[in-house]
Amino acid sequence: MEANQLSRRRFLQLAGTGAASLALLAACQAPVAAPSGGEAPAAEGVTLTFGHHWEAAFRPHQEEFDQKYAEGHPDVQFEYTYNTWSEHNQIVPTWAAAGTLPDIIYVHGRYAFPWNHEGIVVSTQDFIDNDPDFDVDGIWEEARRLYRYNGQQHGIPYDHGPMLLGYNKDLFDAAGLAYPAEDWSWDDFLEAAKALTQENQWGYGGYYNNIVELGNELGISLVGPWGGEVIDATETKILLDSDAARTALQWWADLIHVHKVAPLPAQAQAVPAGPWVAGMTGMFALASWGTPTLIESASFAWDVAPWPKGPAGQICGSFGSGFGITRDSKHADAAWSYMHEYLSKEGMEFMWGASGRGSPARQAAYDSWLNSAGAPAHAKYYMDALTNYAVTGRPYESLAGGEILDVFTRNTQLVQSGDMTVDQAIENILAEGTPVLEAAAKRLQGS
Amino acid sequence: MAPPLTRPPLPHTQPWHQKRSVRRGAHAALVYALAVPGAILFTIPLLWMLSTALKEPKQIFLFPPKWIPDPLLWGNFVAGWNDFLPFNTFLANSLIITVSNIVGNLISCSLAAFAFARLRARGKNLLFLLVLGTMLLPQEVTVIPQYVLFTRLGWNDSWLPLMVPPWFGWPFFIFLLRQFFMGIPRELDEAARLDGASSGRILWNLILPLSKPALATVVIFGFIGNWNNFLYPLIYIRSMDKQVLAVALNMFRGAYGNANYQYMMAVSLLVLLPVLVVFFLGQRLFVRGIALTGIKG
Amino acid sequence: MGLTAASTRPRKGLSLRQREELDFYLFIGLWLVGFLLFTGGPILASLLFSFTNWTGLTTQEWVGLENFRKLLFDDPLFWIATRNTFFYSLGSVLLGTLGALAVALLLNQKLPGTTLMRVLYYIPSIASGVAVSILWIWMFNPQVGLVNYLLSLVGIPGPLWLGSQQWALPALILKSTWAIGANMIILLAGLQAVPTSLYEAAKIDGAHPWDEFFNVTIPMLSPVLFYVLVISTISSFQILTDVLVMTQGGPGTATLVFVYYIYQNAFQYLKMGYASALAWILFAIILALTLLQLWGSKKWVYYEDQAA
Repeated sequence: MEANQLSRRRFLQLAGTGAASLALLAACQAPVAAPSGGEAPAAEGVTLTFGHHWEAAFRPHQEEFDQKYAEGHPDVQFEYTYNTWSEHNQIVPTWAAAGTLPDIIYVHGRYAFPWNHEGIVVSTQDFIDNDPDFDVDGIWEEARRLYRYNGQQHGIPYDHGPMLLGYNKDLFDAAGLAYPAEDWSWDDFLEAAKALTQENQWGYGGYYNNIVELGNELGISLVGPWGGEVIDATETKILLDSDAARTALQWWADLIHVHKVAPLPAQAQAVPAGPWVAGMTGMFALASWGTPTLIESASFAWDVAPWPKGPAGQICGSFGSGFGITRDSKHADAAWSYMHEYLSKEGMEFMWGASGRGSPARQAAYDSWLNSAGAPAHAKYYMDALTNYAVTGRPYESLAGGEILDVFTRNTQLVQSGDMTVDQAIENILAEGTPVLEAAAKRLQGS
Repeated sequence: MAPPLTRPPLPHTQPWHQKRSVRRGAHAALVYALAVPGAILFTIPLLWMLSTALKEPKQIFLFPPKWIPDPLLWGNFVAGWNDFLPFNTFLANSLIITVSNIVGNLISCSLAAFAFARLRARGKNLLFLLVLGTMLLPQEVTVIPQYVLFTRLGWNDSWLPLMVPPWFGWPFFIFLLRQFFMGIPRELDEAARLDGASSGRILWNLILPLSKPALATVVIFGFIGNWNNFLYPLIYIRSMDKQVLAVALNMFRGAYGNANYQYMMAVSLLVLLPVLVVFFLGQRLFVRGIALTGIKG
Repeated sequence: MGLTAASTRPRKGLSLRQREELDFYLFIGLWLVGFLLFTGGPILASLLFSFTNWTGLTTQEWVGLENFRKLLFDDPLFWIATRNTFFYSLGSVLLGTLGALAVALLLNQKLPGTTLMRVLYYIPSIASGVAVSILWIWMFNPQVGLVNYLLSLVGIPGPLWLGSQQWALPALILKSTWAIGANMIILLAGLQAVPTSLYEAAKIDGAHPWDEFFNVTIPMLSPVLFYVLVISTISSFQILTDVLVMTQGGPGTATLVFVYYIYQNAFQYLKMGYASALAWILFAIILALTLLQLWGSKKWVYYEDQAA
């Protein structure tokens, strides 16, 4: 059935047949997005509004930054809405529908593309081009690409991290093993995992993360070392049926079912923060954003090592978060001035580096994080990975990102639990996922 | 106001089991044997929350779980309440909204429920179906249009979207009260009506006094429902000084599993206390046949 | 009370019947106005959205019945979600209602300690959120969880629960049974509203407690029991939070229930039009079930005012 484009007026007429709710439906039409590019910098007071996702403990830090900013910009005031992270992605579309988006919002890398596409977040390319002081190239390219749409930079990343091999030093010591080394291959990993796994420990002890999970940063980390890919660069084709990807997935599945060095999901799930945080497993795929939790909750000594090398070389996935200026912002210029400082080297150092909160998206700001209390001893491997072998894990340029990840999960979960073979899962994922990606690509072209 | 309606005299007696002491003893033993183990089992969530509230962060995720923390950090209660967010403000906000909404619900829902239970009118069944119908659609698909509506009314970042609708009825309570009202013998109000009493008088002087357990149920549910209401304040309230407890509790949660769980649990427990108090007081109105037997007023 | 005063005044020229009808509309007036102002619009809007491919944001095209066609004929997940939801609903309504009735009957006694026990049984239904989810993840742990420990006491080796395709949904049913406190309250209130005179009369007739239960308690409680059944059915069809926090629909599609699928489409896939179509199909299903219950209630629900 061919969808016929509906004008706003026509839709309203149709809605009008619904009598009382005419006004409501008019309200549901998105307000005309006024491009606010050419606005002159506000001379008098401007109130910048924010849609943040910081938890309570981190808010004072945010407000401290803003106070400092206000010292240099006495005409600017701040208003915050703090969402919880999980609800933020539901609230932003709700705001957008009513035209009540704040000036600046948090944008997770996974939501950047659809939000850019829908116009929630506007392009900052003009601002960047006219603001030579803002060193955009100082931000990792792998981070920036998450926020690019139609060749234009929209959001600006603040945090970007790769997958590394985290390890529990206490368990390595207890097993009399040497810690993971820089030149580790996956064979070395398997050997250590076997040595770490104890009898009657239900498979805990060796390795745990959501094994055989294919989304974003984890997916490419699993199949990449064997030369496989999850999805092609146009994000219309799933590439898991290559021999390399198949071999890789089988290797991971074997960790659970053949070598028994990783727990069944039923067992892993039954530990609230996961076996890794509980100190039950020797190794873990540990992204930089996972480190604050460990510092808060881990009752064991831990560190990180590079992601091991596979037959096809060394490669891991990375992912990140950023901020964007919204279409409802009436002070886009003031918002950009703020973003300029917030996401500058100094801004990132203050906000996420020195605070230990996360690995900044700027190379120049990285040292502040490496030296903070939030970073493990060998955190520099995170920077090595970003510089040398990390790639941003797809999908991030499809309108069906969320949907395709669920297609992956529905099938890979059953591989983990032993209810499905790797071959069957790959076949299902291609059969279910391909139409989803194609439909999304069509939507993208049609608009 | 007219003099109170006369109630038909009914004998005041006790149920069978409270008459004979031997049977009563055996009976009580049976009740305890069945109910106590269950009650203990049902207490586990509370004990678990308490245990977590008293822990150091590094003990929260130990496996297998440690039920009795060492050391016991009672200070978590104070720190959780005071150190991060203005919980006193949230408490006041939640109280104001909850109390107002319960009063609004009691009035609007009693009226509608009485109409559905007792008054004959054309279109009644259809309208009742409409009441039921509004409960059937999952709110996931109405939340955005409703948000847009309230925004257009200029109610964004205010308590109005939370506090106005309850004064216009709540389908669950209309249905609940209707069911209770329909269980009240009709002879009572037929007699009053023949005496010339208006519908309002019958509701106020006869039906409502006979419905104390039902009204207590509405108060208990209304309290817990409004107290724990999360989605609506989350969406409608943007400023910190207008926010409510249920949303604030979730503000301990960070993006990647960092949550200060000990504080979250401690404050969650404190927030539960008023609910338990209301329940404790409310269920005292559950006294058998209170009006019909005429034991107490 | 303003309304009382207004309706006290006799209206000339109106028959008793007309006055009653006028009263009816006065009394439901508040609700009716509220419905038209606050509820009806959004509901109607979602119905209209179900005929579009609205993303919840800006993109919006009229697609006619395409969403419904796709759902019914081209979306295996829809049928999986439907099957799972029916299974969950059946289990949780049956266990929840019977459990609540049993506890309410036990605690509807003037014995020392019943108040405390009422409070204890009520607690799980108010303790919600992350705290309880974490607790339940512990409880369902196959090795050290309380559920399998209790099963082992009676010699049953417990399943893998949340990690098992077969047992994840039953686990959620079991968890829902924990929160019977809310239904218990309603039933307690209902039990308290049963006139003592009826028990007295039954006793004089020499009725056995068992007869008393079936001939007095159940009929007198039936309006409230009916409410509990209807509301439990509605809310069981709308289960979301437990799935969202504990299983995310997994393993595989084992706990993919209707509203979770709606939530995914609406907010994770930005397919608000499709989600609305799903919601309206759910609406039709629950409506049919509610009408069935209403119709069936004529056979077993005893209303005092009909008997009069």
